[in-house]
Amino acid sequence: MTTSTEAIRGTDRKGSATRGANDRPTEVAAFRNVSKAFGSVKAVNGSSFTLHPGETVAFLGPNGAGKSTSIDMLLGLKDPSAGEVSLFGGSPRQAIMDGRVGVMLQSGGLLPEVTVRELVTFACKVHPRGYAVDDVLTTAQILDLADRKVDKLSGGQEQRVRFALATAGDSDLIVLDEPTTGMDVTARQAFWSVMKAQADAGRTILFATHYLEEADAIADRVLVMHKGRLIADGTAAEIKARAGQRRISFDLHPGDGGDASLLSALPGITALDVSGSTVRISTSDADATMAAVYRAGLYPRGLEVTGVGLEQAFITITAEAAGTEAN
Amino acid sequence: MGQLIKLEVLRVLRNRRYLFFTVVFPAMMYFFYSSSFKDQTFNGIPYKTYYMVSMATFGTVGAALNTAMRISLERKSGWTRQLRLTALPGWAYVLSKVVAAGVVTLPAVVVVFAMGAFGGVHFPISTWLGMGLAVWAGGFVFAAAGVALGYAAAPDTVQPITMVSYMGMAFLGGSWFPLSGGLKTVGQYTPVYLYNELAKYPVNGVSVGVSQIAGLAAYLAVFAALAAWLYQRDRKTV
Repeated sequence: MTTSTEAIRGTDRKGSATRGANDRPTEVAAFRNVSKAFGSVKAVNGSSFTLHPGETVAFLGPNGAGKSTSIDMLLGLKDPSAGEVSLFGGSPRQAIMDGRVGVMLQSGGLLPEVTVRELVTFACKVHPRGYAVDDVLTTAQILDLADRKVDKLSGGQEQRVRFALATAGDSDLIVLDEPTTGMDVTARQAFWSVMKAQADAGRTILFATHYLEEADAIADRVLVMHKGRLIADGTAAEIKARAGQRRISFDLHPGDGGDASLLSALPGITALDVSGSTVRISTSDADATMAAVYRAGLYPRGLEVTGVGLEQAFITITAEAAGTEAN
Repeated sequence: MGQLIKLEVLRVLRNRRYLFFTVVFPAMMYFFYSSSFKDQTFNGIPYKTYYMVSMATFGTVGAALNTAMRISLERKSGWTRQLRLTALPGWAYVLSKVVAAGVVTLPAVVVVFAMGAFGGVHFPISTWLGMGLAVWAGGFVFAAAGVALGYAAAPDTVQPITMVSYMGMAFLGGSWFPLSGGLKTVGQYTPVYLYNELAKYPVNGVSVGVSQIAGLAAYLAVFAALAAWLYQRDRKTV
């Protein structure tokens, strides 16, 4: 498992150019062989990664994969059972005291009985490098909600307030735990365009998500966790390539000749689905598969060859990881 | 730090339920007691004075114990977690709760004392101030208990525990009626009893209730130690 993760990690990536230069810190966060056990359950198992300045990193994994536990350790809310966690070269607590980290929690974390403005003012004032309240409210697009009570907001509005709390000051790293949970598509898009501006301002962003398309569209690096292990680390494209799959679909008309029963014997094929005249194939070698289709005397119509989405790649990789574990 | 205290005080003063139980309810009870007992006395102490003190302490203890519910709810909602992700030190949160409890108990004391003064309770100004100070300072013992309770369990457990200990302590502490016999044998060691006695020092004919101060200090030490331990436990499990 480790070898394949290394293989992906070996490719060029934003931020890695400055690595090795000791004159300035190039490491925002680092996990060194970090494990966390709750009783006999290992929530995180020997995970290592480094975040570099300016990266937008997606933390991807099914429920119970260890994402939240990893984020808790990254922020110093939990101590690792083994290994070492550092933020900006020091302890997570120190980084937070220095105002280098802004955090948006998944749910809760808001105070009732106060107005949005009062809560955000508080966040700005306690941040060592806090911004002006109105600027923060404007950026989070909640200026119109400023005088509303925090406990009288809709789910999407609450998320924007949480976002305001995470961006109340000049933090170098912003950590978001499933920030778009409960948002509709429009709200999600609006949210990410605001987030994009934060990334463009040079901040490092780490977000946990269930939405693979978000990781695909927004992150320039994806960390995939499964059962406490970090099973992939690379760009979305690299992870898709790692799964190595292509999807082929075409129609076969009965009059075109050829023997459709040959389909299941095609080289590279990993999945086959024939419904009526439509054939859908997943293959690890699209070129060989198609060459064989033509050699068999088949005449495919409306041919389409597509790469799999991150979702499919994700399923393939996690299945691989599960297989490795079983062996 | 000041910001958090400001926010906390703002919140409690806005909370009508909180103000009702700490100010309005004790004031109503006092009105009821003083108008039904009029100028009667018990062991030489006018009921008017007796209930003025015990209703002021009742409101204070209620305000202080209410801290438990707030802490418990805010632990559940994740606000304490959010605070740990700010530059504020961890104890700032507890401090803000204790200070807020200290601030909101003042109206409870002032209102009940003012009613007493208008209803015919007479003391020199220095005695009023001394009694007020005793009620106010003694309230911190119960604020510590409130913090401990708030970190002990989840809101649905904390709510009944708080109510039962609030009413139980008020009963055994002689807040509802003067204790005698077996009740007094047990009750005289409970914190609210010591608190009531301390705050009644002028009518007990002593300058300062040394034994009550010692007793309350011991309770404060126990509650604070418990609070510190439960708080540490909470930080490990969040």
